[in-house]
Amino acid sequence: MIEVEKLTKDYGPIRALDGVSFEVRKGEIVGFLGPNGAGKTTCMKIITGFLSATSGTARIGGQDVVEHGVEVRRRVGYLPENAPLYPDMTTREYLSFVGALRGIPPDALPDRVRHVAETVGVADRLEQEIGTLSKGYRQRVGLAQAMIHDPEILILDEPTSGLDPNQIVEIRALIREIGRDRTVILSTHNLPEVTATCNRLIIIHRGRIAADGTPDQIQAVHGGGNAYLVEVLPAKDIRPEDVFRGLQYVEKVAALDRPDTDALAFRVEARGEADVRADLFQACARGGLTLVGLRRDRADLETIFQRITLQ
Amino acid sequence: MKNILTIARREFHAYFGSPVAYIAIAVYLVLLGVTFFFKIPFLLPKDGFFEAKEATLRPMFEWSIFLFTIFLPAISMRLLAEERKMGTLEILLTLPVTDTEVVLGKWLGAVGFLAVAVALTLAYPILVVALGKPDVGPLVGGYFGVLLVGASYLAVGLLASSWTNSQITAFIAAIVICSFFTFVDRVPEALGIHAVEAFQVMSFNHHFRSIARGVIDTRDLVFFASVILGAITLAGHSLESRKWR
Ligand SMILES: Nc1ncnc2c1ncn2[C@@H]1O[C@H](COP(=O)(O)OP(=O)(O)OP(=O)(O)O)[C@@H](O)[C@H]1O
Ligand SMILES: [Mg+2]
Repeated sequence: MIEVEKLTKDYGPIRALDGVSFEVRKGEIVGFLGPNGAGKTTCMKIITGFLSATSGTARIGGQDVVEHGVEVRRRVGYLPENAPLYPDMTTREYLSFVGALRGIPPDALPDRVRHVAETVGVADRLEQEIGTLSKGYRQRVGLAQAMIHDPEILILDEPTSGLDPNQIVEIRALIREIGRDRTVILSTHNLPEVTATCNRLIIIHRGRIAADGTPDQIQAVHGGGNAYLVEVLPAKDIRPEDVFRGLQYVEKVAALDRPDTDALAFRVEARGEADVRADLFQACARGGLTLVGLRRDRADLETIFQRITLQ
Repeated sequence: MKNILTIARREFHAYFGSPVAYIAIAVYLVLLGVTFFFKIPFLLPKDGFFEAKEATLRPMFEWSIFLFTIFLPAISMRLLAEERKMGTLEILLTLPVTDTEVVLGKWLGAVGFLAVAVALTLAYPILVVALGKPDVGPLVGGYFGVLLVGASYLAVGLLASSWTNSQITAFIAAIVICSFFTFVDRVPEALGIHAVEAFQVMSFNHHFRSIARGVIDTRDLVFFASVILGAITLAGHSLESRKWR
């Protein structure tokens, strides 16, 4: 659906994007994550055709965003950072204006405006001037504007910034709903948001992609490998280390100091990426060990994010 | 075409949503009325309307064009500069519209505003008809010419507005360009140069006078059409160039 190839963008001497490539398939909800100034907004501006890349290409549905600007923009809904809207128009006027330019027929427009306004929760503010709306409401009108033509692709730059917690939950649910049969790229500074809404994560750092994959994959790759914390009760004549070492997929076993429990704790590293928890459980049972604790040992996204972006 | 009209309509409404528009129109009408009673040195060395006892609106038209060099840049300055500053341009230009449709729509919206302002001056010719029997040719030609000059100024103002995100810069740039090309035909007179022709062909004033006589000359129409199309095209290019900065 979206193919981005070796995008580079220079603003004068500043290199904002440096050879970014990725592909987004239909039905994916991709979260852009990265520190301030990483290049998330720049990347979105290029995909939507507002800016041109210094080099590299972006295609939507196989069409180049520069050569087929108008066709591509028809299929995309875009919410820019900070939702820049005309302050002198009312919500209704504004959504009708965007809807008209989106090619919605005049007789269908009022219903469509009402529908998106209800979807994002601004139906009670339709006659209010946008300039007098609170930040969160403006953000919602911005979202409504991006969805008014029911686009195949939504590109949302920090869609939940400025929203209250209730509204954040609603908007996330809405994005997940939309993402079932459409494609969404959103950027955020909120890590829980990524795990709550996105099925894929792209971490951008200094204009490059530092990590790309499902939260699980990223944790596996960047979160200290495929390791498990195993706790078993001490048993006579059985050395738990030997039981674990006897498994062919186990790479390394280390005993951990756990003065707070009677159980023995180990950190078991497995080869490959497959989840071996079920297997470990059975291995313990076979070996006569009583398993009392078993979980994956890996850094959470927050730690991974810091590790990647503080280098 | 539909997109151009949608954008034009928004611009037109935006003007009448703010008190600035009403104030600008009021000031314009009042200052215009002044020509009926006073003479204005240099610009209109002839007597005022009542003193001259002539049933003509020539002084009003010429004064109007002079006022336009300030009044219309004030109207056009916000067209693109404001959108750039506020970031609203980003949504507008990522809608399925072309840059050309955007600049044409904006210009047309401003021309609509101009048309309202000019229509309100129709009270003056009614006065003239009541007082004497003016020639219809110069009257219609004068109005047509005033609209053409105004539409050209707005195109120039739109271009200036596309260069910057500061409205005041756009305002000043447009005043400078418009007044230069309006009064450039006075240069030979002032400096005692003989190359009158060369200065006249690029002067708004010169082409306006020609139309205001009531005869439509293609050369004048071509002049205004090329100024308008040229400025709008350049404004479109300058919008496009944002992408590369
Ligand atoms: N118009 C511009 N002119 C010059 N530099 C710019 C411009 N826009 C962005 N930059 C620079 O490009 C880099 C990337 O900016 P960008 O806005 O894409 O970051 P971001 O990831 O969206 O950051 P944030 O999380 O703060 O929104 C930054 O160093 C920024 O200063
Ligand atoms: Mg940003």
